[in-house]
Amino acid sequence: MLRDAGLSISVAETLDALSAVGLVGVEREVLRDGLAATLLKDEADRLSFDAAFDRCFPLITRQRGRGPRPQPTDDGAARGVGASRTPQHAVLPPERPRTEGRRHPSARDPHPQAVADHDRRRPLFQSRRVQTIPFERMSPRDIEDCDALVASLAQRFRAHMSRRQRRKRRGRLDIRRTIRWSIGSGGVPLHAAFRQRRPGAPDLVGLCDHSHSVATASRFLISLLHPAQQFFRRIRLFAFVDQPIEISIDGGMLVPHGRLDFFARSDFGNVLTSFWEQHESLLTRNTIVLILGDARNNRRPPRADILGRMRRAVRHVAWLNPEPTERWNTGDSVMNAYRRHCDEVYAASTVRELHVALRTTLTRL
Amino acid sequence: MSQALDVTRDLVRGGLERARYLTTPRVETALYLALAIEKPLLIEGPAGAGKTEIGKVLAETLQTELVRLQCYEGLDEAKALYEWNYQKQLLRIQADRASDLQWSEVSQHIFSRDYLLERPLLHAITAPRKVVLLIDEVDKADEEFEAFLLEVLSDFQVSIPELGTVPARHRPVVVLTSNRARELSDALKRRCLYLYLDFPGVEIEQQIIRLKVPELDAALREQVARFVYGLRKLDLRKVPSIAEVLDWARALRTLNIRELDTVAVRQTLNLVLKHEEDLRKADGKIGSLLATAARRAT
Repeated sequence: MLRDAGLSISVAETLDALSAVGLVGVEREVLRDGLAATLLKDEADRLSFDAAFDRCFPLITRQRGRGPRPQPTDDGAARGVGASRTPQHAVLPPERPRTEGRRHPSARDPHPQAVADHDRRRPLFQSRRVQTIPFERMSPRDIEDCDALVASLAQRFRAHMSRRQRRKRRGRLDIRRTIRWSIGSGGVPLHAAFRQRRPGAPDLVGLCDHSHSVATASRFLISLLHPAQQFFRRIRLFAFVDQPIEISIDGGMLVPHGRLDFFARSDFGNVLTSFWEQHESLLTRNTIVLILGDARNNRRPPRADILGRMRRAVRHVAWLNPEPTERWNTGDSVMNAYRRHCDEVYAASTVRELHVALRTTLTRL
Repeated sequence: MSQALDVTRDLVRGGLERARYLTTPRVETALYLALAIEKPLLIEGPAGAGKTEIGKVLAETLQTELVRLQCYEGLDEAKALYEWNYQKQLLRIQADRASDLQWSEVSQHIFSRDYLLERPLLHAITAPRKVVLLIDEVDKADEEFEAFLLEVLSDFQVSIPELGTVPARHRPVVVLTSNRARELSDALKRRCLYLYLDFPGVEIEQQIIRLKVPELDAALREQVARFVYGLRKLDLRKVPSIAEVLDWARALRTLNIRELDTVAVRQTLNLVLKHEEDLRKADGKIGSLLATAARRAT
């Protein structure tokens, strides 16, 4: 019954539940807590659990259904107890603190399963589903769901980056310095010296396509990058449709420095050219350029040569394309022209792909 | 199922009472099961609801040692499990140079227990008696560490390449806590019993205050508990923890405040709210919070 309600319960957990029942006995509320401790692994499922429990072990003492009955001899006693407790339960709803807290004040709803059940479960399995919906097919609802998810992914991404950085800080063993230090202790290398890796965090320049078709992807990319900014010396973000406009993030809001014409037609060639002209100084040997765009250039000149020039100036160029690979180079997509000038190219058509792509590019450097 | 320990519900209840830890039957049941089934207990809930305290209370109940492993980003095996005492090994090699020992003998020496730095996990496993292992804030550790933890938690043994497998002499009682900074893996959850520990209700909070700050008079105690209950319902950046409420109660006692009114609250609210934003938000609501607290009190 719980599995029907969308909870995943393993065989091992069922066995735990059985031994729990054997240990705690069959007094109703204790049984509920016991089963909850073994079967319920997320407070968000509490309502589904309570509903299923009430259905399996109704307050009326006739217990039916659930196969594992602890000891048949206990049964009579349990019934007696159950019967005597029934009126109590019916009259006063237990003053036990409902664990839902602020999120679900309606926890004591007498018929929770129909409405609340559905609502509670949504984030659980949908977070998994939402990760794999292509950006272009996302409904506003999906996008909302994804926001929370992206926030948690961003956390993970940040953790990942910090781990990388730590490992980096302590590079390979520096034999020369280890020996030099060991002279002080009579030739015994008591302290190992490590070589410092490339000093300083890299700069990141992000160019995000904000034309209608891929704006969602850009938004998520920025939310992923933002919490990790401490791992870069500086992050400069630019949004573009046909012109690159610098954007910054202020209090969680995107602030463009200039007017972004959302209704213009994408022009990657022009974007690259003007970026090169205006911001060439940003492109140094320590810069990573991250471009997110579908490379649909509306048949305008792609100016891939500029990208080539950029690549020669910087450390790394990575292109994330929010379209699935099959659609690249179809219609007005000029992905191949750009691909030649990128160090890495990824398809990032879902949140999961985006996260993975980001992780692989930025951490390898 | 082997039971190393003779656990009864009464033992748990008595232990909680002795440790002066007030709680609900639900928590009691979960603790009892964790001890009886010998499975790790995963406790989730908001910060400051008393999760870590449970580990300490359990240790007190079982009258044993508490081994605590505080998790953080980047925690790795070397810090959680064991590490070779590299300096000591080197010294040994140096010392052995004088005596004409064979290399095989030396290496046997330097890879023995004496040169192993025990970290909390290994310590908990090899301890001569059953200990309580508190793995605090697992959600802060990296996923890799979580995966590694699975191995330890399911078999209670550790393999050290140079030494072989070290099985647990006594299965430690394991308590994991998490603030849900991130979702824990299903695999980990599957291996644990689960308990969601929320803030106590008004009743229990009152009793806690009575237990820890007995000097505070009953009426004020009730007011405080209700006020905080209302406060926690506001959308705050950091909700007041139980410890902070106790601090507040003590402060009220020290300041000789007899009754909560707007002035008194405004003066002392910084004891429970630690963010400028929260203070401002709550400031406007003090009146209504006090009113509801009073209404329910009568």
